[in-house]
Amino acid sequence: MKTAMQSTARRLLRLAVLACGLASLGAQAHEGHGGPPPAAPAASAPGGASAKPARKPRTQFAIGTALAPDGSLWVVGLDADNHLFVQSSPSTRPLRWTAPRVLDTQGDAISADGENRPKLAFGPRGYAVISYTQPGAKPYTGMIRMLRSTDGGQHFSAPVTVHTDRQEITHRFESIAFDAQGTLHTLWLDKRDLEAAPRNANGKRDYRGAAVYRNTSLDGGATFGPDTKLADHSCECCRIALAQGPDGALRALWRHVFEPNVRDHGFARLDDGQGPATVVRATEDDWHIDACPHHGPGLAVAADGGYHAVWFGIRQEGGQSVPGVRYGRLQADGRPQPASVRRLPDERAEHADVAAMGPRVAVVWRSTDGMATTLKAWLSSDGGQHFHTRTLAKAQGDNDHPRLVQQGERLVAVWRTEQEVQVHDIPW
Amino acid sequence: MTFLGNAQRWRRHALLAASLLAAGGYMPNGLAALVHAAQPAIKTVANFDAGTWKQLLAKGPRPAAYVFTNSFCATCPEVFDLLSQAVGGSGQAVGHDVELAAILMDLRGDHALAHAHHYTGVTRIYAFDGFEPAIRQAIDPKWRNITPYVVLVDRAGRQQRVTGQPTPGQLKVWLR
Repeated sequence: MKTAMQSTARRLLRLAVLACGLASLGAQAHEGHGGPPPAAPAASAPGGASAKPARKPRTQFAIGTALAPDGSLWVVGLDADNHLFVQSSPSTRPLRWTAPRVLDTQGDAISADGENRPKLAFGPRGYAVISYTQPGAKPYTGMIRMLRSTDGGQHFSAPVTVHTDRQEITHRFESIAFDAQGTLHTLWLDKRDLEAAPRNANGKRDYRGAAVYRNTSLDGGATFGPDTKLADHSCECCRIALAQGPDGALRALWRHVFEPNVRDHGFARLDDGQGPATVVRATEDDWHIDACPHHGPGLAVAADGGYHAVWFGIRQEGGQSVPGVRYGRLQADGRPQPASVRRLPDERAEHADVAAMGPRVAVVWRSTDGMATTLKAWLSSDGGQHFHTRTLAKAQGDNDHPRLVQQGERLVAVWRTEQEVQVHDIPW
Repeated sequence: MTFLGNAQRWRRHALLAASLLAAGGYMPNGLAALVHAAQPAIKTVANFDAGTWKQLLAKGPRPAAYVFTNSFCATCPEVFDLLSQAVGGSGQAVGHDVELAAILMDLRGDHALAHAHHYTGVTRIYAFDGFEPAIRQAIDPKWRNITPYVVLVDRAGRQQRVTGQPTPGQLKVWLR
């Protein structure tokens, strides 16, 4: 239940966002897949199906969000003209957004849809970085690009390609984060090993899925170390979750393809050393499938040791295949705690995120019934032993996946809809 | 996807293409390129909204395969290969006897056309027009956005729904 203050705040926020021109209802963006293809004549469809002229590309709603060191909330995404913009809301005036600031990306096409979105991260010494995938002209190809700032985001550089490898292959679904030492880590899905693998008797490359590659930067994205492989055999189309462990090092959780085709999740600590990490199997859904789930996990450090995780999968329960978004605790090394696993109380739950502050744990997700989408939260005050459900918002039309962003004692859910960017303080 | 760098795959597709040509069948996109046939590529994309599916099932061509896919789905092209081979193996022709439709869930218009042209044997291209989860639920409320999601409709209108690759048994039932 919202308080009057919250409702008023939402109205003010909506007005602010609309006034700043962020709203993009009905707008059409140019989607990035190489140069503009030729115009298509009117479509035809059999069976009396809709045969209206083809529409322009749909608007890409996916945003990245982060809290700056000064407490201001930032978002990065694409506007209705497909331009990369940033916008912030000061901590002292949390309902007032700055005007959207379009950044120079030198004409890059940018993926900003679903699991593949621009990201934003703040580091030490005024560092701020924005990353995105620049899709290539060939299907499934792309480059990871990054803009950097040394003045807390007041000015950004032109974009550069993060990885050394420049083949026209898959480098997509990047994630970025600074560790406690101020080292910037960039991870992405990469198919150089697939492309180099020999073909088997069926003519297929003898390699499962893609790989997770990474590099580091000690100077906030000015220079990067070599591309190194974190793990072979990741899934090809799901986001990578990152969380800072109690020792200050980052942990990664991603959908993996275990032999022969099991799409569970891998967990690894991002060590300073080079070479593949030790991959720990973090979920045990035992989901065998040759398909793309488009549904990556979420990860947060637990105050009492280990991690909180959320993920989508299909597992056998009571003799039936039961799909769902599940929550579970992981041990400090990433191994699952099977007794902690439970399905979110919503069979339509999708694209969940998780965050924790001491014993408090928040899981947010979106749920669509075909008419409206509901933003829901599942909240615990005892480290994930018990949860209660709250409805945070409802929206009509297209919308993004919800994100949780945290700094100190502040935890908010950020959700972009066709009408606005909503910000919800978690109602503990 | 690279066809020419793979001798075995090229031979397989060329044989299939040749058999389809011999049967006088439609030769779209990837297969046409393989045999250097002067077949026109698909130049139109139809909008697919929440009401389209019901109409297609009621009045659409049969047999037909509807492959729901998106621009991220790296496991999807294989399904088009598999379906095209199955149709050719049954003595029928893609496009002439059997509809093989790609439904792009995350791209519209020209971008959908550009992306779908690497799907082997595709005969018609649709693109979601509306909020993706809402359209998806109109097709199958339990479908969780996993792709490829394949609906095989046989001559009598009977449906088989598959997430991932159809089995040989399912393909046989579809085309009998």
